Amino acid sequence: MKILPLSVKNLARKPGRTTALVLLTAFLALAVFGGSVITLSLRAGLRSLEARLGADIILVPSEAESKVSFRNMFLQGTTGAFYMDASVAEKALEVPGVEKAAPQTFLASLKADCCSVKIQVIGIDPSRDFTVQPWIARSLKNELGDMEVAVGCKVGAGIGETIRIYEQRCKVTACLEPTGTGLDTAVYCNMKTMDTLLAAAEAKGVSHRISSGDDSVVSAVYIKVRDGYDIGDVNTALTGKLRKVTAVRTRSMLTGVSDSLAGISRTVTAMIVVIWVLAFVILLLAYTLIVRERSREFAVLRLLGASRNMLGRMALYESAVCGLIGGIAGTGIAAVGVFSFSALIEGSLGLPYLIPGFSTILCLAAGTILLSVAVSALTSAFAAWRLSRVNPGTALRDGA
Amino acid sequence: MKKQVIPGCVLFILALAASVGSVSFLGPCVHEDGSVGACHWAGRSLLGTGLLAAMLALLAVLFRMARLGLYLGSFLACVLGILTPGTLISLCKMSTMHCRAVMQPAMTVLFAAAALCALFGAAACIREKKGRA
Repeated sequence: MKILPLSVKNLARKPGRTTALVLLTAFLALAVFGGSVITLSLRAGLRSLEARLGADIILVPSEAESKVSFRNMFLQGTTGAFYMDASVAEKALEVPGVEKAAPQTFLASLKADCCSVKIQVIGIDPSRDFTVQPWIARSLKNELGDMEVAVGCKVGAGIGETIRIYEQRCKVTACLEPTGTGLDTAVYCNMKTMDTLLAAAEAKGVSHRISSGDDSVVSAVYIKVRDGYDIGDVNTALTGKLRKVTAVRTRSMLTGVSDSLAGISRTVTAMIVVIWVLAFVILLLAYTLIVRERSREFAVLRLLGASRNMLGRMALYESAVCGLIGGIAGTGIAAVGVFSFSALIEGSLGLPYLIPGFSTILCLAAGTILLSVAVSALTSAFAAWRLSRVNPGTALRDGA
Repeated sequence: MKKQVIPGCVLFILALAASVGSVSFLGPCVHEDGSVGACHWAGRSLLGTGLLAAMLALLAVLFRMARLGLYLGSFLACVLGILTPGTLISLCKMSTMHCRAVMQPAMTVLFAAAALCALFGAAACIREKKGRA
């Protein structure tokens, strides 16, 4: 006699009880899968941010922090523009220990074609850049030409399309890979294009001139420290040499992000553990109560010739099927929620958020479903053992 | 009887939530300069589509006659609701915008769930008709 079909029939015959058990395991799977995907995405986002920053020190004008949170520009794509003299990059190279100095110029558009929001335009020098250029090179084989732009994956402009920034038409030549950071909402161009855009912005009344009146400006200089030099010492030397410039250590910026991420990870993990403990206890209680309810049914089966082993397996199969259905349902619901609303989650958390690859998600989903089946089977093991040892005579007499 | 009415009730609630949500908390953002984008009209269209699905569901619950047809009609309205934002009416290009980050996924989930309810209701009607035959 095949036990599995009989177990499935038993479940179908009691839809209320089965639904309750399935909902409970679905809730478990939902918490584990959803929580794990969010935690993994945050970790992947932090790794991506580390890779994208690439520099040890970032030089920005002293007033940059008061104008716009520099951290938010990277994390949430907040637009902002601040300028300093372009000679800062050359001066920085004179400081012992500075290996590379890559300038970048920022410009916030008035209103992009695509939406009613401003977008951040970042001008880079492809020959000197070591932070954004390697990332652009993965999507674009040639260098960025004049009036050509590379767009972050969230800008939503396709390759070959033209976007207008301050009435200047720029051709999109590359769409960059996602980083999970605010850099995904930015547009990148070379310095010559940036000069044209700055002039166009000037004509629209958006001035980029600094107090000295100099037209040659940059917004930030990314510094790579030579091996063997202490980053802190170089940072101090840069601060001492360059006037009206703040040297920000990227490590301190990343530590802040990392601390926030650790806090969120701890909260998510604690919630998952609490949900699991609660659900484990509830399932254990539910299966214990089911023993009392079903003792007469199992006594009849014993009288009809079913062995103890068969009865035990039947109870185990029933709980495993509930776990399987609940696991699939919970994982499915969590997947719909987490993947459909990923942009909303990312915006709400305000931290780098990069969803892991398909294979990782698949492994995680399979693991969650297996865990749901295992927990269901484990919590019902005692009930299965009790039911398999039910005394037909006593059970039928007591239940009468 | 119960199996034919319950999906209709759930469908009514989901479709009503979608229609109300599309012009309120789930709807597109208001532009700073007061201009109206395509996403605004997608929201208005969803209001109509959601109300249509909800009304069909209500009629399916109240009237036994033509219940199957009403369920199938609301299923098609739900499919239209799924296709409206992004496919039939374009939304903002930036994926961080409210219409792309909230309205589109929320409407897809709500209308997909409502479409499933409509199918369950229709299946229950077909099963009942076969049982009577």
